[in-house]
Amino acid sequence: MVIFMKQLKYSLSIVALAAAGLISGCASSGVRNPSGVPVTEMRPDEQGFVAGTGMESQDLVAVTDKMFRSVLATPQIANAQTVPRIVLAPVDNQTRFPINKDIFLDRIRVELNSKAKGKMIFLARERMAALEGERQLKRSGQVTASADPNRVEFEGADFLLTGKLSGLTTRTSAGTSDYILYTFQLVDARTSGIVWEDSAEIKKQGLEDAAYR
Amino acid sequence: MRLTDKLGAGGGSRVIGPAALVVLAALALAGCATTHEVVLSGDVLVDGPNAIANGPPRDRLLWEYRTAAAAMRVGKFDLAKQYLDDALTRLQGIYGPDPQARKARGYFHAEASKTFIGEPYERAMAYVYRGILYWMDGQPDNARACFRSAEIEDSDTEKHAYAGDWVLPDYFDGLATAKLSGDGSEAFKRAQADVKYLTLPPYDPKANVLFFFEFGPGPGKYATGRYAEQLRFSTPPSPVSSARLRIDTRDIAVAATDDVDFQATTRGGRVMDHILGNKAVFKTSTDVAGDVAIVGGAATLLADRGRNATADEVGAGLIVAGLISKAISSATTPEADTRAWDNLPHYLSFACLPLAPGPHAVTVEFLDGAGQAMPNLTKRITLDVPAGKDKVVFVSDRSVTPQNL
Repeated sequence: MVIFMKQLKYSLSIVALAAAGLISGCASSGVRNPSGVPVTEMRPDEQGFVAGTGMESQDLVAVTDKMFRSVLATPQIANAQTVPRIVLAPVDNQTRFPINKDIFLDRIRVELNSKAKGKMIFLARERMAALEGERQLKRSGQVTASADPNRVEFEGADFLLTGKLSGLTTRTSAGTSDYILYTFQLVDARTSGIVWEDSAEIKKQGLEDAAYR
Repeated sequence: MRLTDKLGAGGGSRVIGPAALVVLAALALAGCATTHEVVLSGDVLVDGPNAIANGPPRDRLLWEYRTAAAAMRVGKFDLAKQYLDDALTRLQGIYGPDPQARKARGYFHAEASKTFIGEPYERAMAYVYRGILYWMDGQPDNARACFRSAEIEDSDTEKHAYAGDWVLPDYFDGLATAKLSGDGSEAFKRAQADVKYLTLPPYDPKANVLFFFEFGPGPGKYATGRYAEQLRFSTPPSPVSSARLRIDTRDIAVAATDDVDFQATTRGGRVMDHILGNKAVFKTSTDVAGDVAIVGGAATLLADRGRNATADEVGAGLIVAGLISKAISSATTPEADTRAWDNLPHYLSFACLPLAPGPHAVTVEFLDGAGQAMPNLTKRITLDVPAGKDKVVFVSDRSVTPQNL
């Protein structure tokens, strides 16, 4: 009887230990950030804790910063006798990442406008429909005009600013690698000559957890 | 039907040998389980948003995929875009450590406890659908980006011959390039090399109406093996083999260019299959070790019959060790993840043709294996072709009819 009680006590201890192990297995200590992560304000040029191999804000900032500085130093812009008029043409996205293409040229334009201090003027071609509507209202006398509305005053462009995003992707069991080449050009609208061109390149690699492979 | 998800230490209930352990484990599991319960109606457009909002977060992408496909078939393209954008954003950010994935690799959590992102054919289809929607919105270069990503998703196959061998994405990659004044010939060559028994139409820059077709029920998943640790795919026979497009008075034959079942079954082994295989071996080993220990312990006790205290203790210890080993075996979960994007089609196809701007009457008939039209699946569309831009039309054998597009 004593032996049996001793055995029972021994067995129960082990069972209790096993149960404790099971219970501890489901404690929330194994869950990362169980309460979530509060909104964290980050600079657009720093890599966040959410990252992929595609284009991200830090790439946009780095690329557009480089481009607007480079454009500003172009002799055709820096030494122009008359302020050049520039039109933005859509960026050609040849990568595997769908993007909002306008965002690149928008940022370059904004930076140039803010830093160039009148050395160039961008023409708002994407607003032509609204501008033509306004001109029509003036021509029909429905609204007042500060100048003769019948004169053609919409300006033609001296230069075209555009870009291309090209990509090269490799995916193997070792991971995914994405290389993106960002090229931007300033094209003379009269001669089609490329008066300025610059590029930036970014390569990223990543490997997902084995559970997804 | 109720969709219930319990995330706890064991990830679900299972039969554990010793009664005491069962009770204790059940108490432990019940005490710390997180329950997401979603009542399913059978209508994906109702269940999807409900499951996305209230269901387990690990199934979010699954329901986004399903809901997007269902939304496209009823012409709710904005809804499809919303879900696909969210799903693809998450899909593109899966690199690096992932706590859920790490758990799924552990012995005591099922593979299904990881965040669902789908097998490569499912991820590729998400990109294909999004590509169609981008083109619909007049963004052929972003559509091309999606088609390229679809091929990349399929590029890590066990046999290189099956890597990136979708036809439709390559064909439209080239067509987008041609329409954007580039050279799409390389993509066309790839598409032609991958298509079976068909000659693809050469690119016509004047083709302003693009039809995307899908038909037949797509692949499902099931598990085989002693512990259901081997993932397998099964596709029911498709009642539809091809389609016929009638525009005004023209008839155009539409043969399948892509077989989603083929894509699902040619990927080859996964890294996760090795992990599940190891889990299965561990489960068997601990089970066998448990049996051996219990039998050995019982034999020791029976042989000794209380005459030797040390022998009794060894016997009892072996039995307890055996029970623990059995419990560990029982808690090991090598089951493969069989969650599937279950409303995918079996076949994909397309047609590109030049049409004059203005209204056109379109009929799409889906044909059985004998080439006979299946009247219950016929779709009627009134098409308004705009001037100066492409019109993209998505037609499924599950699409609503009639439609004005």
